[in-house]
Amino acid sequence: MRPSSQPPLDAVNPLTFTEEIVLLALDDQSGAALHLPVTALSYGLAGAVLADLAVAGKIDTDAARLTILDPSPTGDPLLDPWLALIAAENKVHSVAYWLSVLSDRRAEIESPALDRLLARGILRRQDKKILWVIGLRRYPTIDGHERTEVRTRLGQLILGEDLPDPRDAMLISLLRGCHLTDHIFDGPEFTTREPRLATLAKMDLVGREVATATSAAIIALSTAMNASVPHM
Amino acid sequence: MEIAESVSQDVPFLVLRGRLDGLAAPALETKLAALVSSGSTRLVFDCSGLEYASSAGLRVFLSAAKKLKTTGGRCAFAALSPPLREIFSISGFLEVLEIHETVESATA
Repeated sequence: MRPSSQPPLDAVNPLTFTEEIVLLALDDQSGAALHLPVTALSYGLAGAVLADLAVAGKIDTDAARLTILDPSPTGDPLLDPWLALIAAENKVHSVAYWLSVLSDRRAEIESPALDRLLARGILRRQDKKILWVIGLRRYPTIDGHERTEVRTRLGQLILGEDLPDPRDAMLISLLRGCHLTDHIFDGPEFTTREPRLATLAKMDLVGREVATATSAAIIALSTAMNASVPHM
Repeated sequence: MEIAESVSQDVPFLVLRGRLDGLAAPALETKLAALVSSGSTRLVFDCSGLEYASSAGLRVFLSAAKKLKTTGGRCAFAALSPPLREIFSISGFLEVLEIHETVESATA
């Protein structure tokens, strides 16, 4: 039985950004993690936590700083440890700073979100052995409704000219920031819509900062790899 | 932040002054909800005195524009102050929202 402090997992309790990013980062069929650039999902999940806290009215952001609006708990155990962490900090920091801090705690963000998706009946856990020894855990989909619904809704936004509501703008921005849009919107109809996707992705600051942090990590890795190759 | 309500050519407009941050956003949301529930289908924001909008403030703007567009209405942003224009530019809002140089052109 779930502790009474946890919210009910039903239709009136929609997925958080954190759950949506975790769900969409898994392959539909196999339940394996999609291949993303280094640290992209870590920053994506960190951004999702900040987006959830922003929508809950707990934090606010601008280009220079992240500020606490209300340090009282949300009641959601996926979010409250991170709200407490940010609220306990004496100094005011930027969004980029908090993305860096939270991205280092990826497992602590991802694991409870996966558990929540299991409890909702959206995913199931599947443990396999490769060569009878190496453990392999995957999360195939049981109920694909949520995933299909978000893909359809966001896909229509990208292909059309409608204004997004703030939540959809935040989600598109996060998904593009951590390169998940490359996997989710990969049909030929999306190839000419890159400018539209770029415009939508600019609309949320946290998503933009996720994109910046991910790009910086990719460049740093590339530079390190080039430096390690002996020059002829 | 100060919010003053007025009407120009039968179109309600809100004059915003100061800083639209996470603390000020709920008051603007309440004001907008009242306007929409009173049947307003057009709305203009006079942003000449608005010096700053945080992410929470931008979400209120986007939400208002989306709600009015969904009901067949229009929402316009007029006379953006230089700092707000910069924030709108970085956020892509200049590309997706109805922007006017003056309140008069927005209410025409």
